[in-house]
Parts: sequence; C-alpha cells; structure tokens
Amino acid sequence: MVAEYLYYGILLFFSTGILSVIFTKRNVKVTNYIAHSIAFMGCFMAILCAFFVFFQGELNLVLPILLLFGDMRVRVDGLSAFFLLIIGVIGAATSIYAYGYSREYYGCRLPLMVSLYNAFLLSMALVVTVHHVAGFIIVWEIMSLVSFFLVNQEYEKKTSTRAAYIYILMTHVGTVFIISAFLLLAVAAGSMDFGQLKGVLVSDFMRNIIFLCVFLGFGTKAGIVPLHIWLPRAHPAAPSHISALMSGVMLKTAIYGMCRFFLDFLGTGPMWWGVMILVFAIITAALGALYAFIEHDIKRLLAYSTVENMGIILLGIGAGMVFLSCQQTILAGIAFSAALYHVFNHAVFKSLFFMGAGAVMQSAHTKNMEQLGGLIKKMPYTAVCCLIAAGAIVALPTLNGFVSEWLTFQALLFLPQAWSGMIGKIGSALLIALLGLTGALAAACFIQAFGITFLAKPRSKKAQEAVEVMPSMVIAMGMLAGLCIIFGMWPQIMLRILQQALVGFTSIDVTGLKLQEWYLLSFDQGQVRGSISIVGIGMLLLCGIVVAYILHRKFGKEIKATGETWTCGIVPNSHMAYTAMGFSKSIRTVFKNIVHTYDEILVSTSDNKYYGRELFYHVRIQYFFVSVVYRPINEAIIRTATFMKSIQTGSVQLYVGYIMVITVIVLIWSTRW
Amino acid sequence: MEILLSFIQALGFILCAPLVAGMIKKIKARLQNRKGSSILQVYFDLVKLLNKDSVISSTVSWIFTAAPYIYFAGALVASSFLPIFSFSGKGLGDFFVLIYVLAIGRFFLVLASLDAGSAFGGMGGAREMFIAIMVEPALLLSMCTIALKAQTSNLTIMAASAADSPFSLAYIFSAVAFFIVLIAETGRIPIDNPDTHLELTMIHEGMVLEYSGRNLALILWASAVKQMVMILLFVVLFLPWNLYDSANFLWLVMKVLIMTVVIAIGETSTNKMRLFRVPNFLAVSCLLSLLALVAQ
Repeated sequence: MVAEYLYYGILLFFSTGILSVIFTKRNVKVTNYIAHSIAFMGCFMAILCAFFVFFQGELNLVLPILLLFGDMRVRVDGLSAFFLLIIGVIGAATSIYAYGYSREYYGCRLPLMVSLYNAFLLSMALVVTVHHVAGFIIVWEIMSLVSFFLVNQEYEKKTSTRAAYIYILMTHVGTVFIISAFLLLAVAAGSMDFGQLKGVLVSDFMRNIIFLCVFLGFGTKAGIVPLHIWLPRAHPAAPSHISALMSGVMLKTAIYGMCRFFLDFLGTGPMWWGVMILVFAIITAALGALYAFIEHDIKRLLAYSTVENMGIILLGIGAGMVFLSCQQTILAGIAFSAALYHVFNHAVFKSLFFMGAGAVMQSAHTKNMEQLGGLIKKMPYTAVCCLIAAGAIVALPTLNGFVSEWLTFQALLFLPQAWSGMIGKIGSALLIALLGLTGALAAACFIQAFGITFLAKPRSKKAQEAVEVMPSMVIAMGMLAGLCIIFGMWPQIMLRILQQALVGFTSIDVTGLKLQEWYLLSFDQGQVRGSISIVGIGMLLLCGIVVAYILHRKFGKEIKATGETWTCGIVPNSHMAYTAMGFSKSIRTVFKNIVHTYDEILVSTSDNKYYGRELFYHVRIQYFFVSVVYRPINEAIIRTATFMKSIQTGSVQLYVGYIMVITVIVLIWSTRW
Repeated sequence: MEILLSFIQALGFILCAPLVAGMIKKIKARLQNRKGSSILQVYFDLVKLLNKDSVISSTVSWIFTAAPYIYFAGALVASSFLPIFSFSGKGLGDFFVLIYVLAIGRFFLVLASLDAGSAFGGMGGAREMFIAIMVEPALLLSMCTIALKAQTSNLTIMAASAADSPFSLAYIFSAVAFFIVLIAETGRIPIDNPDTHLELTMIHEGMVLEYSGRNLALILWASAVKQMVMILLFVVLFLPWNLYDSANFLWLVMKVLIMTVVIAIGETSTNKMRLFRVPNFLAVSCLLSLLALVAQ
C-alpha cells in the first residue's frame, strides 16, 4: 500500500515541478530553488518506492488516464524498481547540483529548462514502470522529445541545434524499430498489456525479426556502434546536469527495454542472439574507448566513454543470452547481475564525472582540456570527486566499477560452458582480451582527462582564474563519490538488491551468487566457481600504504627542498607540459587504420624567419562509420530529394496532368484483368 | 587469518625483491664480461636513497606525494595473491584482481608524471600507458590459455591444473607468450631499458624523473617487487611442478634462479626496439596464445 502512495507521490511531485514555474516565473532564483527542490523530493520518493517494492513485493495499479487502447496499467516489479532506484539516486544528486549549476542559465530560459527537467524525470520514471504497449510508446516518445528540447537549450548556438536534430533523427529511427517490435508482439498476443505479451506463440522467424527490431531500436538509444553518432554530439550540447542524467539514466532505459524483452517477453532464443550481441558489444566497447582517448573536448570524451560502458553492459547481457539459450541458469544469473550492476555503477560514476566537467566549465568557461590545467589547486574538492569517478570508470579495485567488470570477466570466462568447442574457447579468450584492451584504453583516457585538466600548470588565463564551485554542487558530487566507494567496497549490498530485482524471472537463477559473508563474494556450483573479497583487498592496500609510510619515516624526519621542475635550464612554463593531443599521439599512430587522423601543421612566419615563428598543430579525425555509413546515406537522400524537386515544380496544371496520367494507367491496368 | 598470512608472504616478497633485481644485474654483468656490482647493491641503493633529502617541484599537488605510497601498496597486494604456499590468496582474488591491482599503481604513477608539468614526465607517462594498452590484451590472452583449461580464474586452481599436464605444445606456446608479456610488463630490454638515463629513450625512468630521495626509493623498491611478482607468476603458472612439495622452497628458489638467468641472457642478446615495433612484438605473444588455445 505504501508503495502505491509513494508512486503517486513521484508523479505528483514531478508534475508539480513542471507547473511550478508558471507561478514563480517572475523571479528566476525562486524558480531555480523551488522547482529543483520539488524534483529532489520526487526523486527521493522514487528511491523509497523502489525499496518498498524490493521488500514488500511488486506494485500493481491502473492509472486513471483514458487511452484509446484500454487502461494504462502500471506495474513496478523488481526490474522496474531497480531502474526507478537509479532514476531516484542520480536525479536526487543532479537536482542538488542544479541549484548551483543553474546560475549559468539565469539569463537563458531557466524556467523552461527546469520545467523540462521535471518532465524529463517524470517521463523516465514512467518509461520504466508503465506496463502497456501504447502507454510505453507514448512515454518513450515524450522522453525523447523532452530530451531533444533540453539538448537544444542553447539554440542560439548552431552546434547545439545540429546536435539536437541529429539526436532526434537517430532516436526516431530507433523508435520505428521499437514500435515494430511491440506491435508484432501485441498483434500476436491480441493484447496491449505487458502481462499478456509474455510467452506469446510466434513462429521462429517472427521471433528473430522481433529480436532484431529490439536490438536495433533500443540499441540506437543505447549508442551501439555504429548507431552511436548522436551521443558525442548531444551530450556536450546539453547543460551538464542534463548530460549527467542523459548519460547516466536515459541510456539505461534502453537496457531496461532489452531486459524486458529478453527476460520477459521473448523467452529462450537461439544462441546466435547472444553471440550477435556479444560481437556488437565488444566492438562498441573497444571503439568507444579508442575514440574517447583521442578526444580532447572533455564532454565529448565522456560521451564516447559512455559508448564504451554501454558496450561493457551489453557484454554482460550478451553472455547472459548465450547462457539462457543453453539453460545455464546460474551463469545467466551471474551475467545479468554483472550487466545490471554495471548499469548502476555507470550511472553513478559517469554522472559524477559529467558533474565534475560541468563544475570545471562553470569555473573555467571552457571544455577544451588543452586550455585547462592546474585546477587541483584551485578546485580541490571537485578534483577529488573527479579522481574517484576516474578511478571507478577505469575499474580500480575497491571502487565500484571494478566489481561489475570482474563479474563481466567471469561471465566471459565461463562462456565455453554454453558455447562448446574450439570456437567458444577462442571467442571467450578474444572477448576477455579485447575487454582488457578496452580497460587499458579507458585507463589511459581517464589519466589523460584528469591529468591534463587538473594537474600541471594552468594552460590559459581562464584556468588560472578558476575558483571552487558552489557548495551545493560539491555536496552533490560528494554524495555520488561516496556511493562509488560504498558500492565498490561492499558489492553485496547492490547484488542483494539485484537478486530482488531479478528473482521474478524464472529463466535465470540469481541465487548462485553467495553474499552471506560480509567480506566475501563468491559463487561455487560444480564446475563454476570464483570468489573475491574486495574488503580484503582494501585492507591489504591499506596495510601496504602503512608499510610504505613506515619505510618512509623510519630514517628520521625527511628534509624537503622545493624547486622548480627540471626543464633543462629553461624557466618552466605551461607550454612545456604534455598535452592531451600529445598524450594520445602514439595510440593514434598505431590505430591509424581505424581512426583516420590528419595532422596539420600550420606555420606562420613573422618578419624574422628564424625566430618568432608560430606553429599551429591541428588534428582532424575522420570517423570510419560516418564516412562509410552515414555520408553515403545522407548523399543518397539529398540526391533523391534533388530528383524529386524537378518533378515537383509547384505548377497546378502539371499536377493535374500527373493525376490524369496515373488515372489512365490505373484504368488500363484494371481493365486488363 | 588468510589475509594475515598473505600479508606476511607479501612482506617476504618485499624483502627478497631487491635480491632478485640484484641477481639479474650481476648475471648480466658477468655475461658482458664485467665483474659487476655486488648482488646486494640494490639494497645499498635503497638505503642510500632512503637517507637522502628530497627535492619537490613547486608545481606538484598531493597526487605526486601520494603516488609512491599507492604504487608500493599495489605491488604489495599483488604479491600477496600469488599461490606459493597453500594459504596464499585463498578466496581473496584471482588473476583479474592481480592485473587490476597492478593497474592502481600505474594509474597513480602516470598521473604523478603529469603532475610536475615537465615534458619528460608526460612523455614517460604517455609511453607507459601506450605499452600498458598493448600489454593488457596479450597478458589476458596468455592467462586465458590456462584459465580456460582450468575453468576458473583462481590462481591456485590454475597452478594445480597446469601442474597436472606434462609439457605439451600448448604449454610451450603459452609459456613463450607469457614470457614476452613478462619482459614488457617489467620494462626490460627490448621494450624499455631499465638502466638508461637518456631522456628520449626512457619510459619508466622518464616517468619518475621528478622523484628523488625516499619517494624514489619507494618507487624503485615497488618496481623490484612488481618484477618479482611477474617472475613468480611465470614460475607458478608455467613451471608449477612440486609446488607444495616437501622441498618446495628450494625448488622455488631454483626456478627463480633459472628465470633470472633466462632474463639476463635475453637482455644481453638483444637491443632495445623502436617504440612502434612494440605492438608487433606483443602481437606475436597474442598469436602464440591463440595457437596454444587451438593446440589444447
């Protein structure tokens, strides 16, 4: 019962948040505080609602909204509650963050932005809870449209508008596939209710078609390579707390949709479903990490890193599907737990880093890493939060990213159990190796992102004048940084929640993961065994630091002298420090077959040609999929349009002529038979 | 309890690691017809450095100070996972954990190299990450050859499974593959020259160029531990016979000695390769691992 009231509370708060701006629009400051506070309350309700569902069982209710297609049924089961929890946690943090961050937008349509912000949260909460085909498609579409307007917030900038249009185009291409998948199922089931879609009898051929539609449709939203092109454009264009929500939460609704279909509706499929997901997932992960590394716009870098992490999540899902096809329920449970754990972790650490990037942007007014530097001294708290986020993203042990990556590794290692023979073994080894490559690329990428942004000397005047951001922003970042540490040290907490979330699905068995002991995470089922103790690793790390400290202090008090960095006798300046472009140069060289880069060196000679020359080094990256896939499509559309233009002149007489010709042809056609 | 015993094992590693490094140096010197310094020279160097004052750049932040501690702690944790005694690393972690624990130290050390804002540090850090990116898949592939056979990532069971089978083609392939990774991971010739101090060729040395005194001592010591961890990982996985036997300790010392001789011979008979040849070198390792999988 309580969960029901809490659910209504979520809807009520977010709706109030949308409308509240009407009453407070005279004073933007009041709008900022009131609307974001209401959003925070709504998110808090979402967290509570999720926990009540975990402890008291699922929630069923019918929303009193009249649809042409019957009642709009809402059902919050474990899976929905898990995603509702993510929306709540990240939404709460971004709402607090927005108090300070929205100051940027006091002169730039703030009321509209906060209203859309609430609408965005509301639509995402509905997407993961509505259990009705038409209702789902409607709220999915609302979510896409609202996020389109949020990406287009600064529509004076041409890049923003362009990014927003590419985003809306791509997301609609995806929606076509999603609608097809739903309708194919709904027609076969004769019902629009999610409950009736389960286990519908459709032919194998149709099931494969539905699977492909689901994969392409939700894959576009999730940013699978090569459907990812909207991501690195849309994320930098949106305000930072919106990017945090989009990357952390909105993309995850695609994973929700996939899980709903694969675990609930479609039932056990053939093995090639899983293998196909694995192949696309590993390409997505590796290319995402590679593109992130060669990027030097910090928000684009984060967007590509999101692509990479979606790849890791899909690796878990793909492995789970392979196990499902062979009825390996326990291994499927581990694989899906890994995927969903990574969903949560990625939501936390990526939102955290986006917020950190937003703080840097607000303070230094640039997102180009090459102009930043030395911020660790100006913004110490932001720096620590970003360091924790970076550590979690590259999966350092004792931070949360590591546990889910470890579980993914385990799932991949046991792939030969389901996929027997030589191919299975080699496939498993290659996937593990490529995931390792992805991890190493991500490590290099985030060392670059943190090191160039926060360390060394300030590379521009803007960076020199940066100051620490508002306390509310630091608090929001601190909250998420704390979650990174807690869920890294004690993965049992989140895995227990995940067991509650997945226990309703009979095709997988999540009880294989043993979480009874507070320090140990293990699974042991005949051939399948493994264990890890993050707390133990943490304790050993601490012991190691203590030993190092003892060695360090044993020889009396250290005498330290301060001097300038050694630069061969020249006075050091910020231009001597390594740049992001230099840091990734060797990788660009090695992977030049995949990322085509063109280095351009411009020399502008002054009067004296031996001294005072200015050198500009510019790198242009050509993306393989843009030039191979998208540009030809683009050109074909434009060619067709040009061709149509010559037929469509606008003269009424000509159109009458067309109609007559067609009528004559039809008449002849019809009389012949 | 197991954590405590593993910790004691790690302390043992810390004590012995400089000796292994000294032995390699000595053997190398003898192979080059030099007398060479004493085997204990690495200890003397460490003590000397620990007694020295430090010069710290005014540009650096707390990351620079913290990095040596974390690098040291990472090496220590990694060494506690190796299944040398029956208790060690039981349930604590597996080879994925071992690799990622070593990555913690690298992560902070590369950050520290960027911290001082000198071109040398950045160059060293960038190259270190470049090699790490290439090594990671090769390392995982060579481990997978054994892990997939043992059907677990637990190092103890992997070692036992490896000891079960006699010398086979697959084993020789994967041993060679892992040896290449070992060379790359410990930063030895032909990938990196641990003795060079020429700015344009050094990788690891360039990264730690700004360090002096005690901080440098900690980093050098941790590097020695890391090298010993990799050597013993090779011993445990690829020469695993008589692991828990009565005379096991003597055997272990023998095997480590063999490894040091092999490394020293390898190092004297080749020269450092160009940086962009490294991917090819590691591709050989990957290919051998895949062959090993096929031959299994």
